[in-house]
Amino acid sequence: MAEPRSTIWETMQERGHSRRDFLQFCAYAATLAGIAPAAHGKVAEAFEKKARPPVIWLHFQECTCCSESFIRAEHPVVADVLMDAISLDYTETLQAASGHAAEKCKADTMKAYAGKYILLVEGSVPTEADGVYCCIGGRTALDILKEAAAGAAAVIAWGNCASYGCVQNAKPNPTGATPISKLIGKPVINVPGCPPIADVMVGVVTHILVFGRPPELDAQGRPKEFYGRRVHDTCYRRPTYDAGMFVETWDDDAARKGYCLYHMGCRGPVTYNACAVTKWNERTSYPIQSGHGCIGCSENQFWDNGPFYQHLPSFPGFGIESTADKIGLAAGAAAAVGVAAHAISTNIRKRGLIHEHVAESVTENKSE
Amino acid sequence: MSNRIVIDPVTRIEGHLRIEAVIENGVVKDAFSAGTMVRGIEKILKGRDPRDAWAFTERVCGVCTTVHALASVRAVEDALGIQVPKNAELVRNLMFAAQYVQDHVVHFYHLHALDWVDVVSMLKANPVEAAKIAQSISPWRNNTAGHFAAVQNRVKKFVESGQLGIFANGYWGHKAYKLPPEVNLLAVSHYLDALEWQKDLVKIHAIFGGKNPHPNYLVGGVPCSFNLEEVNAINTERLNHVGSLIKQAIEFVEQVYVPDLLAVAGFYKDWAAIGGGLENYLAYGDLPTNGYGDPSKFMLPRGAILGRNLNEIHEVNGKNVEEIKEYISHSWYSYAGGDANGLHPWKGETEFNFTGPKPPYTQLNVEGKYSWLKTPRWKDHPMEVGPLSRMLVAYAKGVTDVKEVVGAVLKKLDVPITVLFSTLGRTAARGVETQVVAHWMKGIYDDLITNIKNNELRTHTRYRWDPATWPAEAQGVGMTEAPRGALAHWIKIKDQKIDNYQLVVPSTWNASPRDGKGQRSAYEASLIGTPVANPEQPVEILRTIHSFDPCIACAVH
Amino acid sequence: MDAIKAPSYRRIYVWELPVRAFHWINGICILLLGVTGYLIGRPFAVISEQEASFQYWFGTVRFLHFAAGYLFLINMLARIYWGFVGNRYANWKQFIPTRRKWFTEVADVLRVDVLQTRVQGKIHIGHNRLAGFIYFLSFWVYGFQALTGFALYAAMSPSWIGRAAAAVIPGTWNDMGVRQWHHAGLWFFVLFTIIHVYLVFYHDYVEGRGTTSSMVGGWKFEREDYFKS
Ligand code: HEM
Ligand code: HEM
Ligand code: NFV
Ligand code: SF4
Ligand code: SF4
Ligand code: F3S
Ligand SMILES: [Mg+2]
Repeated sequence: MAEPRSTIWETMQERGHSRRDFLQFCAYAATLAGIAPAAHGKVAEAFEKKARPPVIWLHFQECTCCSESFIRAEHPVVADVLMDAISLDYTETLQAASGHAAEKCKADTMKAYAGKYILLVEGSVPTEADGVYCCIGGRTALDILKEAAAGAAAVIAWGNCASYGCVQNAKPNPTGATPISKLIGKPVINVPGCPPIADVMVGVVTHILVFGRPPELDAQGRPKEFYGRRVHDTCYRRPTYDAGMFVETWDDDAARKGYCLYHMGCRGPVTYNACAVTKWNERTSYPIQSGHGCIGCSENQFWDNGPFYQHLPSFPGFGIESTADKIGLAAGAAAAVGVAAHAISTNIRKRGLIHEHVAESVTENKSE
Repeated sequence: MSNRIVIDPVTRIEGHLRIEAVIENGVVKDAFSAGTMVRGIEKILKGRDPRDAWAFTERVCGVCTTVHALASVRAVEDALGIQVPKNAELVRNLMFAAQYVQDHVVHFYHLHALDWVDVVSMLKANPVEAAKIAQSISPWRNNTAGHFAAVQNRVKKFVESGQLGIFANGYWGHKAYKLPPEVNLLAVSHYLDALEWQKDLVKIHAIFGGKNPHPNYLVGGVPCSFNLEEVNAINTERLNHVGSLIKQAIEFVEQVYVPDLLAVAGFYKDWAAIGGGLENYLAYGDLPTNGYGDPSKFMLPRGAILGRNLNEIHEVNGKNVEEIKEYISHSWYSYAGGDANGLHPWKGETEFNFTGPKPPYTQLNVEGKYSWLKTPRWKDHPMEVGPLSRMLVAYAKGVTDVKEVVGAVLKKLDVPITVLFSTLGRTAARGVETQVVAHWMKGIYDDLITNIKNNELRTHTRYRWDPATWPAEAQGVGMTEAPRGALAHWIKIKDQKIDNYQLVVPSTWNASPRDGKGQRSAYEASLIGTPVANPEQPVEILRTIHSFDPCIACAVH
Repeated sequence: MDAIKAPSYRRIYVWELPVRAFHWINGICILLLGVTGYLIGRPFAVISEQEASFQYWFGTVRFLHFAAGYLFLINMLARIYWGFVGNRYANWKQFIPTRRKWFTEVADVLRVDVLQTRVQGKIHIGHNRLAGFIYFLSFWVYGFQALTGFALYAAMSPSWIGRAAAAVIPGTWNDMGVRQWHHAGLWFFVLFTIIHVYLVFYHDYVEGRGTTSSMVGGWKFEREDYFKS
């Protein structure tokens, strides 16, 4: 047991970081936790002594595909993340203990590392009906979230569920499913996607550990590093888009040549994600590469932007397949009919006036 | 009731499951299984485009990802009379099989193993001895003393760090753990190998469906296209990739999963007499070879077994409104026609009606409604679904490959077939199935290659893609066998929109509360009689519950 | 037979050059934006054996849309400026209802020109009150279309205008929503053009004051007695 354990400081040293980087990292963690600058030294001490940053992973209204995605990570692989990079002290999906024993793991970490643990949240939180739509250990998701968020140094929202509410938040949102950023008074790093790409997930966690600060975020709280570009801007089918070469029906000649899927409803032009570059499953593919358009799974409210096989969503309140064009065309036709009717009516109602004008008109004869 | 213990959260499962168990004299006397999270996806589907439903329902679960998408496209195709091209059937079968093999392996190592394997005990193991044992059962490349020593060292350092992470507060040292340290070491080593390997096989989903979890499906076929003259389509390289993934899968299953399963099972034969529960088994069958409309040609057959009578297989018909019904006597819903009636899913209703205690609560009111799961019944019988049901139906129907592997396993463990009706049997059946299906993948793959060789490239029938060609009203059912058991989606389409959509999911069958007649469903029934040495550390209850591989996000949806 | 006495007309310079220039540049921009915008939303597929790299028609369509978008914006800003320095007919007060009386005049126009329950009404040299008000509302749509257009443009260009526009749009609006409404905006212009052009012709036909040509030469014609009263 005398063997020295590897601390964050040691790990950072191994990776070529200076003492200054380390202190900066500690200062960041401390600031997030709301600790006064004078006390930063204490946090540094804590990280120096404690081997791996403790992490609590909460599960609420979710399908667990974010967890599934996480374990598909390639660099680093998840075993290395769990054994060397972090200490995953609570996750219902993988942890050995159940029931009270599991709850104790969480309670112990929240107590021993108050203000110092990283909180990862998978799933949305139902706010209707006093929260009875999601209870764990007899407590509501909201209750559990608030308690855990209070002492967290950083909060990451996994997937579209925790970031935006995802499928259960689609109309009519029967349970009042709510994104976590709306429920806790702390900055949240949103990592949307349904699920997010595995290497993006570990990328966000390791960004904090390696660089000692959170990644730069966009206006929606997403790391720019992974969500700064539209799928469309990085899509390898883009040249066929610019050339106007489109798939028109499934498995047509154009589909077999891998042309652009814009006509099949591809949401790449309105979706910010790393799919086309980072790709999925160790760079094996991504939706468009396998012939299906992007459905916009990293975007807020993407479920209510259906049908997915239509370029623009149905117009709110006008039913399926009601595009703006169909409604506009109907209105345009109505206007044309109205105009024609008005012209006829003018010739009847204003007959007198028009005759008067014609009569008063100066003819060539008269002027002579 | 002071002796009713509560396990909530049940971990190493998918979803939010709560077990309340009445323990008397060290055995479970009665048990209550509750799902405590609901999302209302059936309500959300109303009024949407049926062609989008696969994506919504796929998000029911990310662990058994794809199976709901498959059930959904089948339901829509069934309603509209669409038949998919042969290649689409084969691609779907490959994705289906890949899901089985990956999901079953992850279940065994990462969700179930810690019920049988004591992680702390492995620190005492002799790596050389462990390698000897391992090599005697399998030629797996990592079964060397050097590798085992490295794993042991790594775990030792990990444990000594004082930060046990996911292993913290486990029931280590509990007397129910019976494996020698060497076998524990072997199992933990393979836990890590499996964690590494599981991310490979699902690349088949990425190749054909763009990503995993949650690959893309398509009503009328599959979204990918084949073209041997094009880099932008499924070409030789992509197909080769699939081929080698299948090869690796067979290797992993044969050299790691199945040998480990048999080795561990050998130490826990007493569990062949515990956790049997229900005596009825239901399987919808899957892996069509002549279209979804012809169940007689499914590789996994359809049928129901009552009273463990393997000599009589009952026919199952998802469209017969008298066969499958869902009850809500103990579920937090209400039916317009009264809560006592059962409804066939085409007429199904999803109306929330929470009557439980106000949170925070310590015990549920099990006399009344106590779960978000509905209670499905087949001809009013509670049925167990899952790998065990599938293997029993296949065995009884004489599916050769299944008979062979089941026979070999029973012989190896030197036990009669009746041991299958148990916790251990359920866990073993999953391994048997993985072995059979991994090999079938090779055959499906070969069929796909043959088709392409014959220039049969079609992956989508455009028939009835356009909603303008649909009838004003239509209804269909999409049945499949998810890894956890019989899954079906029922759809009603009206004016091109979803009028009603109901899912009855494997874990709904198994984990549901009792029905109005007091008949228990599979979890509750199987827990009766389970010994519990220490109610504070109910590892025995976890064993039986985990043998079903619970998925509660699925079960409630 | 006594001929009806022919009234004499006077020529008035109503639309100064900047107004006319704005009008036609605006019209052309909107036509171009409408056509290219529609194509962006619903491009026809090229069936061609050529490599994608040999064609760029869709990229060109998009380029025209963005170029016209800039012109449209600048033109609009120029017109707003002219609303402060131009003649009385170009002044911003012609567009924004300032007094209650404005609305009784709008009602008048409705009665005379739309419902036609009255045959004749008050003559306005510049815009009538209803027209002025409609143009005022249209300017909001112009602004909206420019805002949403440039917000979408932010994703594909380093343009600071794009970034500024994107920053104005609330974070809860994703690109899909912005695009949906930008696309819907197209149909406002279609409706506006049908009705607007018709009404210009209608006024010319019924009143004979040279309304149509006024936007070309700037001149309108008014009865002598109009100036006396
Ligand atoms: C009268 C004014 C305009 C009209 C009628 C108009 C119309 C349209 C339409 C119909 C679309 C297609 C939307 C879709 O279906 O996806 C579109 C796209 C677009 N418009 Fe406009 N637009 C107007 C002004 C502008 C302006 C001022 C800009 C500023 C640059 C702009 C930038 C864009 C952009 C960036 C797109 C998306 C193009 C792409 O993704 O390739 N638009 N517009
Ligand atoms: C044949 C085509 C057109 C003709 C002859 C025409 C003629 C005119 C005339 C005569 C006016 C003054 C109306 C008044 O007295 O209130 C006017 C104003 C206006 N027109 Fe047009 N117009 C045409 C097309 C368009 C189009 C396509 C648009 C835009 C969609 C447009 C937008 C406007 C606007 C915004 C004004 C107010 C101008 C200002 O006060 O600066 N016009 N037009
Ligand atoms: N129960 C269940 Fe599933 C499965 N297998 C679905 O149908 O797990 Ni999420
Ligand atoms: S974001 Fe999507 S993948 Fe992740 S839990 Fe939610 S539904 Fe599942
Ligand atoms: S396939 Fe989609 S993302 Fe790719 S270029 Fe076409 S529209 Fe853009
Ligand atoms: S659907 Fe999602 S996975 Fe990527 S390509 Fe689109 S964001
Ligand atoms: Mg259901």
